[in-house]
Amino acid sequence: MHIDWVIVERTVAAVGSVIVFVVAAIALKNDWKTPGIENQVFKVMLGLLAIGGVIAFLAGIDVLGRFSGAA
Amino acid sequence: MAVVSVPHGDALAHDGGPDQLYVETRELRLQGFLLFLVSDVVLFASFIFAYLYLRNTGQGWPPAGISRLDVAFASVNSMVLFGSGCTMHYALENWKHNNFTKYAVCMVATIVLGLMFLGGQGYEYTTLMLKDHVTWSGSGIFGASFFTLTGMHGFHVAVGVIYLTTLLLQSLHGKYTKDKYFGLTAGTLYWHFVDVIWVVLFSLFYLI
Repeated sequence: MHIDWVIVERTVAAVGSVIVFVVAAIALKNDWKTPGIENQVFKVMLGLLAIGGVIAFLAGIDVLGRFSGAA
Repeated sequence: MAVVSVPHGDALAHDGGPDQLYVETRELRLQGFLLFLVSDVVLFASFIFAYLYLRNTGQGWPPAGISRLDVAFASVNSMVLFGSGCTMHYALENWKHNNFTKYAVCMVATIVLGLMFLGGQGYEYTTLMLKDHVTWSGSGIFGASFFTLTGMHGFHVAVGVIYLTTLLLQSLHGKYTKDKYFGLTAGTLYWHFVDVIWVVLFSLFYLI
């Protein structure tokens, strides 16, 4: 049986990115009211991590990465 | 809790003992670590802007003769690294809430995911070099910028894996307590930083 690894990779990436986004969003929500410098930095990092999840999801479903030099 | 100023050069002779010293110096150490991360941001930003400048002065991207990068595999590898950011965050949260077992599981998961990312990067490098004949020095701006930036990031991940392993071993030996765990906070900050840098690099090299 022939396995199309690109489809497998894209599926794994899409599912994984949804999990990452949800986990990062929940962590951000839980940390939202915590004080302190490090927690402010954590919030920024978690927000960017959630954005990374969205970007990877869009790449996984072949919406991003079709332009210019991307395959 | 009363805050007592620490005389310069005589910190260890403080009356409050090591615990009081920890409380007083924690903010300073945190600020120092954040400054270190800012300096690393500047380092990456310099290389990223150099890459963007060179890319925009070239004739198309990637240059003729170089195949396009594998977005599907890079997406999976990115997920591995982003996932490790989540496990690291929950490792620290579990430490704060005294769940040592969950903390240890999350730390081990973070280290394993970091190693998996490095393995994926090694596989990607091997494929590029052996199959597509893209090298650091022999493929012009594309090869130089790709291998320099992703290699620098990979180096940071490798250092992070060693750092987290050290933190895990230290915590197993009782170096940190529920109230004194700055090392773990710093490790989490560092690992999040490595994640966030990859969000930028992944977008720049594979998606745009």
